[in-house]
Amino acid sequence: MNRLHEWLRDRLGLEALQHVADKKDVPVHRHSFWYYWGGMTLFLFGIQVATGILLLLYYRASADEAYESVRFLMTQVSFGWLIRSIHSWSANLMIGAAMVHMFSAFLLKAYRAPREATWLSGMVLLGLSLAFGFSGYLLPWNELAFFATKVGTDITGAVPVIGPFMLRFLRGGEHITGGTLTRFFGFHVAILPAVTTVILGVHLYLVMRHGMSVPPSVEGRTPPPPRMKFVPNFLLRDMVGWLAALALLALLAALFPWELGLKADPYAPAPAGIKPEWYFGWMFQTLRVLPAHILGVEGELVGILGIGLGGVVWLLVPFLDDPRGQGPRARFWRWLGVVAIIYVVVFTLLVYRGAKP
Amino acid sequence: MKRRDLLGWAIKLMGATLGGFVLYPLARYLVPPSIPEAVTRRVVAAKKGDVPPGGFKTFPFGAQPGILIHTADDRWLALSAVCTHLGCTVQYKSGDRMIWCACHDGFYDLDGRNVSGPPPTPLERYVVHVEGEDVIVEKAKA
Amino acid sequence: MRPLRTLIASLAALALLAALPAAAAAARAGAKPQNSCLDCHRELDDARLAAPAKAFREDVHGAHGLGCIGCHGGDPTDTDITSMDPDKGFKGTPARKDIAEMCATCHANVEFMKRYNPQPYIFSMAEFRTSVHCKRIEEGDPKVATCTNCHGVHGMLSRKDPRSPVHRRNVPATCARCHNPEYMKGRTAPTDQYALYRTSVHGKALLEKGDLSAPACNNCHGNHGAVPPNTRDISLVCGTCHGREGELFAKSTVKAGLELEGKRGCATCHGNHGVQLPTDALIGTTGAGVCGRCHERGSAGARATDVIVPAFHALKARIGNADSLLDVADRLGMEVEAGRELLKQADDQLVNVRATLHGFDTKQITAVLTEGDGLADQAISQARAALKDWRTRRIGMAVSVVAILLMAGLLVLRIRRLERGAGA
Repeated sequence: MNRLHEWLRDRLGLEALQHVADKKDVPVHRHSFWYYWGGMTLFLFGIQVATGILLLLYYRASADEAYESVRFLMTQVSFGWLIRSIHSWSANLMIGAAMVHMFSAFLLKAYRAPREATWLSGMVLLGLSLAFGFSGYLLPWNELAFFATKVGTDITGAVPVIGPFMLRFLRGGEHITGGTLTRFFGFHVAILPAVTTVILGVHLYLVMRHGMSVPPSVEGRTPPPPRMKFVPNFLLRDMVGWLAALALLALLAALFPWELGLKADPYAPAPAGIKPEWYFGWMFQTLRVLPAHILGVEGELVGILGIGLGGVVWLLVPFLDDPRGQGPRARFWRWLGVVAIIYVVVFTLLVYRGAKP
Repeated sequence: MKRRDLLGWAIKLMGATLGGFVLYPLARYLVPPSIPEAVTRRVVAAKKGDVPPGGFKTFPFGAQPGILIHTADDRWLALSAVCTHLGCTVQYKSGDRMIWCACHDGFYDLDGRNVSGPPPTPLERYVVHVEGEDVIVEKAKA
Repeated sequence: MRPLRTLIASLAALALLAALPAAAAAARAGAKPQNSCLDCHRELDDARLAAPAKAFREDVHGAHGLGCIGCHGGDPTDTDITSMDPDKGFKGTPARKDIAEMCATCHANVEFMKRYNPQPYIFSMAEFRTSVHCKRIEEGDPKVATCTNCHGVHGMLSRKDPRSPVHRRNVPATCARCHNPEYMKGRTAPTDQYALYRTSVHGKALLEKGDLSAPACNNCHGNHGAVPPNTRDISLVCGTCHGREGELFAKSTVKAGLELEGKRGCATCHGNHGVQLPTDALIGTTGAGVCGRCHERGSAGARATDVIVPAFHALKARIGNADSLLDVADRLGMEVEAGRELLKQADDQLVNVRATLHGFDTKQITAVLTEGDGLADQAISQARAALKDWRTRRIGMAVSVVAILLMAGLLVLRIRRLERGAGA
């Protein structure tokens, strides 16, 4: 083992890596718990890549065969049911972890200088994971997915100016057809992974470069917080978390296997209660509760613009907040962050409580 | 010293076990299953010997029954066996050389056309290939 | 000069234009065969005399050129009452017992009818004479139907016209005009047919759903040779539509038994006018079961039913069992398509049994039951395999989770040791 290690080290120049890894450390304080969520998201993304590649061996991306190939996978392929259920569940867990990671970074003001670019790349990654979720959801070509995609792209179409073009771009035409499926497949397995790889690389490099941000409440303290080595201490703790996530995935895949549903029929009427996946839920619910017209403008449009505006503000928070992370402005943004979290959580839950259509 | 070794050893063992728990399903998954692809497009309906001339066999095709007919003049035909009237499974009457639905006396000719009785539309026709001993039925190209 | 010529030309043109309608009318009047009967009767105040003329506008005979004189005789060119002179051939209202013969002069004449239809229905006086209606008319019974009672007379419509009393959907009501308790009072014939028919599966199909493939009275009793079917005819009649059952019944050994000694073929078990959708409750010797009505305890027939009936219900139970097991597996998230396919095939065999029963051949019936049992059993084993798979997965999951958590625990220990030792 050791000789192999030496051999690799000499050829790959691993000492440099080892050196960097040895130097890296992580501050230890009462908010350190939140540092693990980035790694958790990365781990779950790794699961997605691995299971996704495995699914590629059996999945067929045409309207005629997609559903049947998934069914074949679930029934005829050894452990096919397991790979598929893990892929579907891990997608949800990953987006959940990403959101926890984002919200904790927001509240702990990790976006302050010099980490603005980290924040921006992170927001892009969140958008990419939502795109992954949206495109992947259609691939089994079942009833729920078909209509959820229809609703989702319809809402995209309502965006002013670029909406109709975006709708046609996403759908590969005016309506959702086999062409849409092929296109979404291309997004899901090629375009999005390529873009994500680049942005993820940037994000990870920035994290390595700037190290972990210390929240304002801890920063000012003397003496400064103790630090633990990244390798092996933090990493081992990361792995405990990852193992817990793995155990959760195993439980979910076995106890709540992902449904196959009915094959999509474009000519059938939409079944009742169509809704998008939970991570779009709060946006969906917001649009649902808005009245048809607000001050003469279509309610849905107001909602879309409002959410869009909110997103832009959220994105630009590193430049809007107090750079020290203290004072009234900082308090305002923290308060806004709490309100946003509560809003998102409540509205996500409302989707499932059958709130006003 | 011993305890440290024990823990290290335990971790290695557990790690290997978990590795096995991951690699075993992975390996099984990668091995192709007994049928290479979903049976909704193509299926081995019967062995040649199973269906003598003048005989027929109902076989599963996807989620629905199909009917494989071996006519007296050695032609092989396959059609959907779901009667277009109310969904009963049809059969072949070799004497009349017609496909018949017992439920309400519907008749189809060997091209699947509904020629008598309640069925409103023809039966879907499939493509048949004989490969060695296997009689293979495939959905017709659109 | 010019203006005068123009004036003359215009006047001439105007005169011509004015003359055209008059000329046309004259031409029309000359071309049409004169029908003084209609012209006169239409204007009469007496409703009874005017009605036929008014109704004649829609008449199918009238549309084909058969006017009043075709049946009544007389002189249509005579616009006076003398047109109804017997010397001119006037017959007046035909006597009831002569009506059929009169209609038959045309409708039984092949050459004549072919002028109107290459494949005409040829009325058969011989057939009509076999009917109860004809026999009674010839005896002088005034309350019995002849052609005009069912088909109408003036204003007669083709039977394809939904307003015609002999359009299939209207036939039962037309027959019921006479075949009802009040009209038939004092006669021995049964009078409950229409009431029963309306509750029957055939009646509901024809009268409520408008299904024109359902039989009306004439489909079983015949049209012009209407008789209650001879006991020997019943299974042939029902077998016209219920082909498989009729075929099986005809080949069965009990056909003769069910058609002699006053038993009435299919109607023995299913009834006739009030026939209902048969349910599985009919299969059996007790309760609604019809087998027990004839098969006394200890007879060969009873012994056969003792074999068949329990086996039938056992198959049903097996199928029900398979269905619920598959449902359980389905709800647990397992794939059950293969099992469901087998179950459908088993169910097809169940349908097959219900028809095969009409052959009354124990061996044949048992063969189908066995096939159904086999398929249902296969479906059950598919379901059981799916459930077993599910349990295996649970165990696999439990073991994996335990292993993972164990590993996590070991790592925690490692961390503790690391940090205790290093004092970090």
